[in-house]
Amino acid sequence: MCLAIATGLSLLIPWTVKHAIDALAADGAAAPLAHYVGLIVFCAVGNGAARLASRFAIAGAAQHVAADLLARLYAALQTFPPSAFARYTTGDLMARATSDVSAVRSLVGFGTISAASTVLAFVGALAAMMAVDPWLTVWAMAPSPVLVLLVRRYNALVTTRTHAMQDRLGELSTIVQERLAGMGVVRAYTMEARAAAEFAGANAALRDASAELARTQAHFTPLMGLVTGLGTLVILWAGGTAVASGRITLGALVAFTGYLGYLAWPTVALGFTLALGRRGLASMERIQQVLGDARTAADDTAAGVAPEAAVRFANLTFAYEGRPPVLRGVSFEVRPGELVAVVGPTGSGKSTLGLLLARLWEPPPRTVFLGGVDVTTLPLGRLRSALAWVPQDAFLFSRALADNVTLGRDGLGEGDVRRAATTAGIAEEVAAFPAGWDTVVGERGLTLSGGQRQRVALARALAAAPPLLVLDDVFANVDAAKEGQILAGLRAAAPTILLMTHRLRAAQGADRIVVLDEGRVVETGAHAALLAADGLYARLWRMQRLEEEIARA
Amino acid sequence: MPEPAIHEEHDDVLGRAFDRRLAGRLWATARAHHRLVWGSVALFPFITLLELAQPYLLKIAIDDHILHADWTGLTAVAVVYAAVLGALYGLRLMEAFLMALTGQRVIHDLRARLFEHLLRLEAGFFDRTPVGRLMTRVLSDVEAVSEAFTSGLFAVVADVVTLVGVVAIMLWMDWRLALVTFAIVPVLFAVAGYFRIRARDAYREVRRRLARLNAFLQESIQGMAVIQLFAREAHERAEFQQRNEDYRRSLFTSTRFEASLYAGVEALGSVALALLVWYGGGRILDGALTFGALVAFIQYTNRFFLPIRDLGAKYTVMQAAMASAERIYSLLDRGPEVETPRATRAPAAAAGRVAFEGVWFAYADERWVLADCSFTVTPGEHVALVGTTGEGKSTCVRLLNRTWDVGRGRVLVDGVDVREWDLGRLRRHVGVIFQDPVLFTGSVESNLTLDGDGGRVAVERALSAANAAALVERLPQGLATPLVERAANLSHGERQLLAIARALVYNPAILVLDEATSSVDPESERMIRDAMARLMAGRTTITIAHRLSTIHDADRILVLHRGRIHEEGTHAALLKRGGLYARLHELGAGAALG
Ligand SMILES: Nc1ncnc2c1ncn2[C@@H]1O[C@H](COP(=O)(O)OP(=O)(O)OP(=O)(O)O)[C@@H](O)[C@H]1O
Ligand SMILES: Nc1ncnc2c1ncn2[C@@H]1O[C@H](COP(=O)(O)OP(=O)(O)OP(=O)(O)O)[C@@H](O)[C@H]1O
Ligand SMILES: [Mg+2]
Ligand SMILES: [Mg+2]
Repeated sequence: MCLAIATGLSLLIPWTVKHAIDALAADGAAAPLAHYVGLIVFCAVGNGAARLASRFAIAGAAQHVAADLLARLYAALQTFPPSAFARYTTGDLMARATSDVSAVRSLVGFGTISAASTVLAFVGALAAMMAVDPWLTVWAMAPSPVLVLLVRRYNALVTTRTHAMQDRLGELSTIVQERLAGMGVVRAYTMEARAAAEFAGANAALRDASAELARTQAHFTPLMGLVTGLGTLVILWAGGTAVASGRITLGALVAFTGYLGYLAWPTVALGFTLALGRRGLASMERIQQVLGDARTAADDTAAGVAPEAAVRFANLTFAYEGRPPVLRGVSFEVRPGELVAVVGPTGSGKSTLGLLLARLWEPPPRTVFLGGVDVTTLPLGRLRSALAWVPQDAFLFSRALADNVTLGRDGLGEGDVRRAATTAGIAEEVAAFPAGWDTVVGERGLTLSGGQRQRVALARALAAAPPLLVLDDVFANVDAAKEGQILAGLRAAAPTILLMTHRLRAAQGADRIVVLDEGRVVETGAHAALLAADGLYARLWRMQRLEEEIARA
Repeated sequence: MPEPAIHEEHDDVLGRAFDRRLAGRLWATARAHHRLVWGSVALFPFITLLELAQPYLLKIAIDDHILHADWTGLTAVAVVYAAVLGALYGLRLMEAFLMALTGQRVIHDLRARLFEHLLRLEAGFFDRTPVGRLMTRVLSDVEAVSEAFTSGLFAVVADVVTLVGVVAIMLWMDWRLALVTFAIVPVLFAVAGYFRIRARDAYREVRRRLARLNAFLQESIQGMAVIQLFAREAHERAEFQQRNEDYRRSLFTSTRFEASLYAGVEALGSVALALLVWYGGGRILDGALTFGALVAFIQYTNRFFLPIRDLGAKYTVMQAAMASAERIYSLLDRGPEVETPRATRAPAAAAGRVAFEGVWFAYADERWVLADCSFTVTPGEHVALVGTTGEGKSTCVRLLNRTWDVGRGRVLVDGVDVREWDLGRLRRHVGVIFQDPVLFTGSVESNLTLDGDGGRVAVERALSAANAAALVERLPQGLATPLVERAANLSHGERQLLAIARALVYNPAILVLDEATSSVDPESERMIRDAMARLMAGRTTITIAHRLSTIHDADRILVLHRGRIHEEGTHAALLKRGGLYARLHELGAGAALG
């Protein structure tokens, strides 16, 4: 709307100039010059104001669109299961969220502005030119069809090259992200040279891809300039004869060149717009790809009664994509109030059980039950509010420790944090920090010791007093004394516990011990019974014992 | 949630006086490609000349030919005009391409410099700075700076050249008319000056908020499983949305300046036209001016304002670029706090001796983690370091490979203070297996040969020593199996096995195992221990473990307590002594339930 006004007003300017010149040519002395001048100034100011308003409106809208798109992207990522995160790296996702989103922003913003003003300018200028002289207009527009053809040809190229460039950017971003996040290893293994070389490779690839794209895009603007120039040439020639033959006035010719001049900028901008448009569309595709991978059935409402805590695995066989099964016919049960320990060699499938229970990976139907309900039929929010899972590698956010424990959950007060921290055996250490619970940790909890990190993660799980605890090797970096103390506290709080561990001492007191080997349950039973059975468990146990005996001797 | 102060950077302190220096540094960055730069600069005068020829040809056509109905003359002018157009097209194409190419090269160089610089920065920096923030620097701030070249610096030079040409020709044609047009210029400068200061502030804010947004996003992506498990999606989304909204708002503020400047210049251009008609019209009446000249003049006025309007747009681009450049250079100026000294000292013999001499260390302030900690490890010795969690064991390791520098005292490796070692050599000498086994995307094999060396044989031997040979065999493509980010497609214990193998391939003189087998089953651990004993025979190893069964056969056990070595001796001796170690051991044995 504002744009239309702006265009109208700015078109009035050459028209006024035409009349001024014609008036001068007809009868110099009587020409009401001041009149024309006033009109031009009025148009100029009006045009400026209208253009300003339209820019605000459109750029503002574009920024809203981009912000919404980013919010949608974020929401989609929140539904991503680990399998989806394995398809994209963090760096790649970051590239999409930044570079691609901003390409879309430019498309909607600048793209719309210049496309709209170009169209309006063309329509307006054409109408005005027609009014002056239809025949000359046809001449002036003669080079345009050529333009359309050329643009078509370039568009396809720009699209493929944009894709190539954005992919390279994703790769580069991945390297930067991973190397910086793994800086500790880079440093300790003097990997700097290799990291720099890898970066250099990706960086050069990106530069070349960008240069390729630029080479295509470089054609646009000069081409548009050429086409408008040709228009002027035609006018000069055809219009010149017309003036000479007296068919049109000199003022009309001047106005014509004025209109063409007026079209020069939008036409040049058209080239730019087309490039933006192509790039924006290609980026949009990349964003759509992520949005399309969102888990649709995601339901994060925790409404309804949480199923009571009891877990049953029924003949569970599971394989990760492209791998042989890691769990084969696993069946066992954790009854309310029980502590069941799962032990077994590295890679035997212990953590996978937890992942399937929490449905981070989707188990086959009717194999995993929580409170007698097949987990695949439970809304995710409800399922996850019924269990607290402490993953094997503790992830902390770079926030205050208290926030890491509460995660902003409603109704978790300071008292809950303290209680959970005491049970997790971290309360005293945190109290000793100068900032206490307000201590902000580094990314991933970088500024804590390994054991501290694990216990903060444990406290996080305990804070909401969940009915079911799934503890995946949470004592790995905690000394035995602390471990005993924590376990005793957990038992006293008496929730149902599923414990995966390599420390057979921790498993010893469990109500039942499930021994996994290569994805199969090879033994189940209490500690004493398993020792008597003299199987894998007994062997592992003796190994730990034996060493202690030797040591004692 | 309060945003911690340490995570915000102090880029606000950079003054505006910085500009000239900043521009100088940018230029220094571009100088490597000076041939490209000068190449495109050399094109400018020609382009300008050709552009300026167009209206003049028009004038000739009108005054000399059309008004006199000179048919052949008109054709001749038209032919010249066509030639000008063709040449212009070619030159502009070259110019556009050269400019883009230069921009890409500058980005490329700046990125490489930035990344290589980051690789040299010390651990403390990364403790405080989220990776997402750094990614914003390397990826998007750099891009904004390159804009300063492509649509900034170059275009400005081109525009200025055009302007000079236009001004010259206008003055030549009719200086009085020209002066009328230029009357508008002081107004223009005033407008631009006003926006300049505000726009820069606005852009600084944009960049800062973008970095904050990206840091949050990056962390969310990595911790998404936690967010999902605790059903915190809505909460995190709100946090994200708040940053997203903040960013959008700052962006809008910057748009306001951009748009106002643009519209202002445009309006001024039309005012100049009005002046021209008014004054020029009068002069035609006086007979001092031809029609053709007025028409050409009007066209020149258009051409006068086109670059000025352009400059307006470029101006904001430049401001944005400067805001980004400030951030980049402030990072580049931040030298590493831990680096190889100018004069290094090489040890007489790389035997593998380690000595802590009265070491005091605190991560921050005076909160000593280590207080007067002293111990030695003789070459070939196998020493264990134990202590309750959070006692400072991993900290000792970080001092040993100089991830951090000691507060007081010295850490000696083979008799030479680590601060005098060449950093690369020191870290090749002291290999560390970390508590947290970080692996990278890429094949298993590329993860085992991090610094580039290590042949197949070494890899296979390391794998079997780390008890990981069977694991690798089980993987679908063996050593070539791709690992995803952080090796999420392996079990935790498997990651630890690969981390051990990686250290063995690295083959250092001194090997430090920080909880290297904490998530490995007892049987595998036993096998690894035996294999390592063979492989590392005669070499120094330092093992940190909470499971005391891992370390009971060490030559010597050091017990860290309250920042110093509390007791030391063999397992048996320490047990007999009945001190701290004996208590730890007793508690461990009694850690069973019920
Ligand atoms: N980067 C850091 N910045 C600040 N404080 C730190 C940092 N790293 C560790 N700390 C603190 O220093 C102390 C010692 O940590 P360290 O990691 O050395 O303990 P540790 O003995 O290895 O413990 P664990 O057995 O749990 O791994 C802890 O209180 C920890 O919070
Ligand atoms: N995302 C995945 N994609 C493919 N394979 C996987 C994935 N996650 C785990 N695996 C494989 O599945 C097997 C079981 O892994 P899991 O993490 O359950 O073992 P675990 O018993 O917990 O071992 P650990 O004691 O080392 O923690 C391993 O061999 C591992 O390589
Ligand atoms: Mg596991
Ligand atoms: Mg540690």
